[in-house]
Amino acid sequence: MPLIIKDEYPEKLFREDGKRLDGRKENELRPIKMEVGVIKNADGSAYLEWGNNKIFAAVYGPRDVHPHHLAKPDRGILRVFYRMTTYSVFERKKPAPGRREKEISMVIADCLRPVLFLELYPSTSFEVFIEVMDADGGTRCASTTVAALALADAGIPMRSLVSSVAIGKIDGKIIVDLSGIEDKAGEADLPCAITWFNEEISLLQFDGDMNLKEMNESLDLAKDALKLIHEKQNEALKCKYIEIQKEEEKNSQENDNGGVDLK
Amino acid sequence: MEDKEQEVLEDDDFEMEEISRELVLPGEVLTEDVNNFIPGRGAIFNKERNKITSLCIGLKQIKKKYINVIPLRGFYTPKAGDKVLAVIVDKNPVKYKCDINSKDFGQLKPKNTISQEKGRMGRNTRSYDDVSTEMYKIGDVLIVKILSADRLNKPELTTVGRYLGMKRDGIVISIDPPKIPRVIGRNGSMIKMLKNLTKCNIFVTQNGRIWLKGDNIAYERLLIGAIYKIASEAHTSGLTDRMKEYIENEKKKEEFK
Repeated sequence: MPLIIKDEYPEKLFREDGKRLDGRKENELRPIKMEVGVIKNADGSAYLEWGNNKIFAAVYGPRDVHPHHLAKPDRGILRVFYRMTTYSVFERKKPAPGRREKEISMVIADCLRPVLFLELYPSTSFEVFIEVMDADGGTRCASTTVAALALADAGIPMRSLVSSVAIGKIDGKIIVDLSGIEDKAGEADLPCAITWFNEEISLLQFDGDMNLKEMNESLDLAKDALKLIHEKQNEALKCKYIEIQKEEEKNSQENDNGGVDLK
Repeated sequence: MEDKEQEVLEDDDFEMEEISRELVLPGEVLTEDVNNFIPGRGAIFNKERNKITSLCIGLKQIKKKYINVIPLRGFYTPKAGDKVLAVIVDKNPVKYKCDINSKDFGQLKPKNTISQEKGRMGRNTRSYDDVSTEMYKIGDVLIVKILSADRLNKPELTTVGRYLGMKRDGIVISIDPPKIPRVIGRNGSMIKMLKNLTKCNIFVTQNGRIWLKGDNIAYERLLIGAIYKIASEAHTSGLTDRMKEYIENEKKKEEFK
């Protein structure tokens, strides 16, 4: 007899003190940690911890297209492989890529394509491998964010970065950055991504019900949240180089001081 | 191995004075003054043409009217005339296939591996009919020159020329291709310093591979360490002096006495 665990969601998604179940305010993001250059053999890579989401992204390219018939003679192609590990969710996920993963891969590729200059690299491919180690709601947004970071780390010319966040509606209120439980039990879910070079929406999916006023409100909220995420992405990219610069400055100062002391 | 002087590559990308140590990121606005500046390498106008933005992660540089971004990460794109280190990965009776650390494999045809002896009438006295790909084996390391390269076709290589040909000894290491100008330094200052202090032969190529050989394994090791250090600190200022200090400090250790 298999053990069947029913999905049980709390009746109320807000606590008595008006905060969300994990203690966040309505427009507050989960803690985000980003790092670049984590995979040695990849051309570019990034790691992201967004709440309980743990995601690796690796970028390879430009390189030959396999299978060769996918190659386009006039432009390069961008391929995204979004995969979830078997242990990333509560119930074991079958390792074969399913319908959901294929869709998310396509959505992320469509979202990132406008920032790349694919026409400059005919008959080549850029490949982004996204591996979700731990999932807790909003992985497609987190994956888009980390994929953009990995592309930038690989030194591929880009118009700008891409940031993404999910907006939702729980208990009649619009909230930013849904966690897993809010995603499942909430009323609406609206992942969106922005390309910063023209500040246009590059990804917008919707699930649930909302009226137009709420939709506008949530897009406004999204923009504020996306700005925060963009800052964090920039910080993560710069961090690697600035640390070395600072260290060198410190060393040189120490050396100078040492010379003075000896005299 | 005869002493070969490294050709000083004229690459003023990393000129110390003009380059600011300002790190820029993709999409970052470099300037809004579009009347006085033109986007150069690694920069682009936005759609409304009222801003100039960066394309990659790198260092901002202003050169006369141009705003450039010197990339810190990236890949090697073959350019005609480049001398690069290639490894033969495959061969057939018609051509060799060489890995030159770029998107495409380079093609080395056997007629480009022997020097052409010109006859009296300007004709070749040697026929190419009997030339086959028996000169090199799979796995050989060559210094080759790129004859032609573009976006669509595979780059064509040659081993005929000064400094070109097979390397039978030495060590090959590889670093990120955008950091190669830093290993050479301004007018070759860094590479001259490395050569003088470590007494090694070095051949630096644009595809990120560096061939080196010294008399002493300790010096070779020191040089490899120094090159990796240069690559990791490529975006900092005063690098040549700092590297000189580093090598001199290292040389005081016991293994060099």
